[in-house]
Amino acid sequence: MGRPWSDRPYTAAPRAASTWVLAVQPRPGCGVRGTMNRVLTSLVLVTALAGCNALPRDAAGTTERIAREGAMRVAVLPGTHDASPALSLLGNHARRHDAQLAIVNLSGEHALRRLEDGELDAVVGHFAKTSPWMANISLSKPVGQAEPVDSRQPILRIARRNGENALILATDRAVAQSAK
Amino acid sequence: MSLHGGIPPAIAADVRRGERLEWWTLGWMGSVVLVMWLVMGASQAMKAAVIEDLLSLIPAIVFLLAARWERRAPNARFPFGYRRANSLAFLVAATALLSVGAFLAYESISTLLRQEHPTVGGITLLGHTIWLGWLMLAALAYSVVPPVILGWLKQPVAERIKDKVLHTDALMQKADWQTGLAGIAGILGIALGWWWADAAAALFIALSIGKDATGALEQAVAELLDGTPRALDSNALSDDDTALITALKERFGDVDVRLRETGRYIAAEVDCPSPPTIPTAVELMGSDAEWRLASLSFRPEPSDGPV
Repeated sequence: MGRPWSDRPYTAAPRAASTWVLAVQPRPGCGVRGTMNRVLTSLVLVTALAGCNALPRDAAGTTERIAREGAMRVAVLPGTHDASPALSLLGNHARRHDAQLAIVNLSGEHALRRLEDGELDAVVGHFAKTSPWMANISLSKPVGQAEPVDSRQPILRIARRNGENALILATDRAVAQSAK
Repeated sequence: MSLHGGIPPAIAADVRRGERLEWWTLGWMGSVVLVMWLVMGASQAMKAAVIEDLLSLIPAIVFLLAARWERRAPNARFPFGYRRANSLAFLVAATALLSVGAFLAYESISTLLRQEHPTVGGITLLGHTIWLGWLMLAALAYSVVPPVILGWLKQPVAERIKDKVLHTDALMQKADWQTGLAGIAGILGIALGWWWADAAAALFIALSIGKDATGALEQAVAELLDGTPRALDSNALSDDDTALITALKERFGDVDVRLRETGRYIAAEVDCPSPPTIPTAVELMGSDAEWRLASLSFRPEPSDGPV
């Protein structure tokens, strides 16, 4: 049986105060308060991580693995004679994580498939802006050159594994910096 | 206003308000589509959000077309006027809502099954390369505001003018802001490295949209099949029906009464000889809802139903 109306202990102010305390000190719960606490906690976490430049993270943890193993696995597609600027950018990135480039000898589709499967961290080669591979991998802007007018023109780019957004953002920044 | 055309003076101002709200919807949601398109990059999730926002314009467009047709006078080719355009518009709006839910569900399920990792890279603005996800979050936050306000403004107008298209459009606005929030959750998830977050949030919202859309579609089909008028927000019979049937039975005894809906209007058919004095719409429906009763006919010699 419900409590008589006149005896109800809740008023607007204490309820608001209790919600605020719960938001600051999350604890397991259910219902709207529990959900709100989880949302607030996530927002605080995201804001804090964004503030210290820790976001975005890689979906498959490539950057952490590079730091852990001390090696960044890169393939250079055959015929990419101008690969050195891209390798230099990737080398700088690897060194920031106390790692070195490990060049893997693979050709064409083998390399891109290995990249998709997470067995490579990056592939350097000539790709068009409208490459048929672009749905499966993440292509950078042209390295050291302007984007060609013809979007079908292959040009030096770095291919990254989809979802590895920390690595993708870091290499995008490096490519943009090199363009300056 | 003629018998089969035009908008009754009792609701004319509210219908005009509904039309103004729909023009505002086209303008605001058009700006949302533009902003989302500018920041969508190669993200499939954002592309899906843009397509969803484009589909969400359909109920607003069909409401404006139906209101325009409703004002047309009957003619030789359409002697009963164009009031049923509203019923047709309702079917189109409900189908658009269902399409949004189905599209969102398909995109989410296929992403989860294929385990696609969403990619959001950097964008260089004013010499600084920032993560495109932050711009996407800003665009998504903007995309949530207009539908919340517009949907909130449309609900009471839809109720007053008994307009299921406007009501369905308010549901579409609900779908829009929910999808926007799901998108925000998804981008935050991507930022944290949770590739599945975007698709899972969208799938959750798709189920809610699908439920609303299925209900609206049931009502739209019932209306086109001359079913008894339904309530605005469910497949239950409307309060106006119950009141009208009761009023007719009180006056003419235990006779068969059939009601059907033509757009926002009700047509009643009573199985009894025409009475010497025909009751007025105000007597049967009350002064607030009298405009809904578009016709009242009597069948003096009702035959048995079809065998």
